[in-house]
Amino acid sequence: MISLTSPVETRAHRWPAAVKLGALAMATVGLFTLQDVLLHAGCLVAVLLVYLLPGQVFFRAGLGRLRGLWIFAVLIIGWHLVTSDLVAGVVIACRMATAVALANLVTMTTRLSDMMAVVRWLLAPLRPLGVKTARVELAMALVIRFTPVLALKGQMLTQAWRARSRRRPGWRILVPFAVLAIDDAERVAEALRARGGV
Amino acid sequence: MKDMSRQHTVISLEDLSFVADGKPVLSDLTFDLTERRIGIVGRNGTGKTTLARMISGLVAPTAGRVRINGSDVARDRRAALREVGILFQNPDHQIIFPTVEEEIAFGLQQAGQSPAQVQSGVAEILARFDKSHWAQAAIHQLSQGQRQLVCLMSVLAMTPSVIVLDEPFAGLDIPTTLQLTRVLDSVAATLVLITHDPVHLRRYDRVLWLDDGQAVQDGAAAVVLDAFTARMQQIGDGDDLSDLAG
Amino acid sequence: MERNIALIAVFAALVAALGLLPPLMLASGIPVTAQSLGVMLCGTVLGARRGGLAVLLFVALVALGLPLLSGGRGGLGVFASPTAGFVVGFPIAAFATGFVMERLSRMNIGVAAGLASVLGGIVVLYIIGMLGFMLVLSKGPVETLMILGVYIPGDLIKAVLAGVITAGLARARPQSVLSRS
Repeated sequence: MISLTSPVETRAHRWPAAVKLGALAMATVGLFTLQDVLLHAGCLVAVLLVYLLPGQVFFRAGLGRLRGLWIFAVLIIGWHLVTSDLVAGVVIACRMATAVALANLVTMTTRLSDMMAVVRWLLAPLRPLGVKTARVELAMALVIRFTPVLALKGQMLTQAWRARSRRRPGWRILVPFAVLAIDDAERVAEALRARGGV
Repeated sequence: MKDMSRQHTVISLEDLSFVADGKPVLSDLTFDLTERRIGIVGRNGTGKTTLARMISGLVAPTAGRVRINGSDVARDRRAALREVGILFQNPDHQIIFPTVEEEIAFGLQQAGQSPAQVQSGVAEILARFDKSHWAQAAIHQLSQGQRQLVCLMSVLAMTPSVIVLDEPFAGLDIPTTLQLTRVLDSVAATLVLITHDPVHLRRYDRVLWLDDGQAVQDGAAAVVLDAFTARMQQIGDGDDLSDLAG
Repeated sequence: MERNIALIAVFAALVAALGLLPPLMLASGIPVTAQSLGVMLCGTVLGARRGGLAVLLFVALVALGLPLLSGGRGGLGVFASPTAGFVVGFPIAAFATGFVMERLSRMNIGVAAGLASVLGGIVVLYIIGMLGFMLVLSKGPVETLMILGVYIPGDLIKAVLAGVITAGLARARPQSVLSRS
């Protein structure tokens, strides 16, 4: 399973994940308290400069992940143009872009294993309450294992559709797809039991 | 019934290559296949399944093309549906509908036949295999071999000139394998049978041995299969289980 | 227990895989992504608790940085974007769908699943989704509904499909439809 961690190794890859997450939370709250348009524009430029630090490849990958936001930016600025309150619109659009860019920055510089460690740490207080946290990790591992398997089976079904039709696959492949998933689940349950259960 | 009078079906692979994730899966295959029974043999993971999907036009090649009777099957899907059908390795990956009738009808409906035509097409193919009582049967209650037969009937109902079979015998017991073999023998269309097991190809007209995405040998079944079997035994005596791909 | 974990994990994977499939065509020719349909199915098939957990697991893995949302989106940025409320709302919507489903145990299964999907997968999901949208973009509820309302017809179709598919599963694998056992 491919994660969104950047293959471009940055210094931030080695920082503790919990610290990065804490800083992200504070920065996001901070962004919502700022009101000045120039400060917001400055924040956005500053974040984009940070993206440039590890080089062009990292910068382009980062920008690519912000692409989905432009429609919202256009929507908001257009809206505020109509209500003749352009400055407020720019503030909202900048804040949104900066917040998403900062959050993506944490994702891009933190390995999945480090994130899992944070989850384990967050779940630890539940252990004395009787929650079996090992099961959460097992379930996460199973999802990572089975997403590509199911995606492949879904692809097979769409091919089976296309082998007999010129049209795009319809919703009707979803029933056999869900049946395949359920059968997989029953087999996994057996395999887990065969190896001592959980 | 499929017209036997038709000119020889020609499957042309033209400089066919396929690259997945930067790794070559098939490299520069060029062949004109005109025989009625064509076997493709090779070990698991040598690009056989990819080739099966390419001959059926389900996967577009990275370079080169596949033509069947002159039509580029990846580009011209309308022609492809007329020329070629495919039987997947696992019937569960192929069957879309809950009953036998609906499964067979789907391809005919998609080909634009009228409801009356579809109905008679379904009835005809079921009758041909003496399975008219299956029409309303729920597919999940059929055995693996029976489901495989439903897939084959669905493909045959569309009367393609070529049927690609990707390891159709995997997981079938000996009687079912023999029955399916007999059914396949009776099919008029050109068959391209893809397998790792030379036993199924003994009586075929032409066999291609594929390894690492390239054709190792091509020719009469007996010659190619003997060489293949000898090589497989040689490998089996060694230890390549420990080698990791890539 | 093993069966519960396996079903929860595999349904989480199913929601992810539905996002990876190419958009499906409805009879009307409208392409829809099936991910939110997957959320509804978690509730209608697995019930409130297990369905909610399956989708929570899915959302947690998105937060950890896996590109499992349709279009290959994922990571923490999702939770700062205008659609964050919908992602956060997914597990709650699945729980609500399952909750309604369990209350309608005497109704025809397909109808019950469709109804539960409308209440859980649309009403509950949109309330939370709109709150997120209003927060990130500083809009009022009326403006938000005007913008997001265009997606509601598509989601209604998905609720109908959730009903049809759940009924289909109840026929093919009755013992696995936990919301009815």
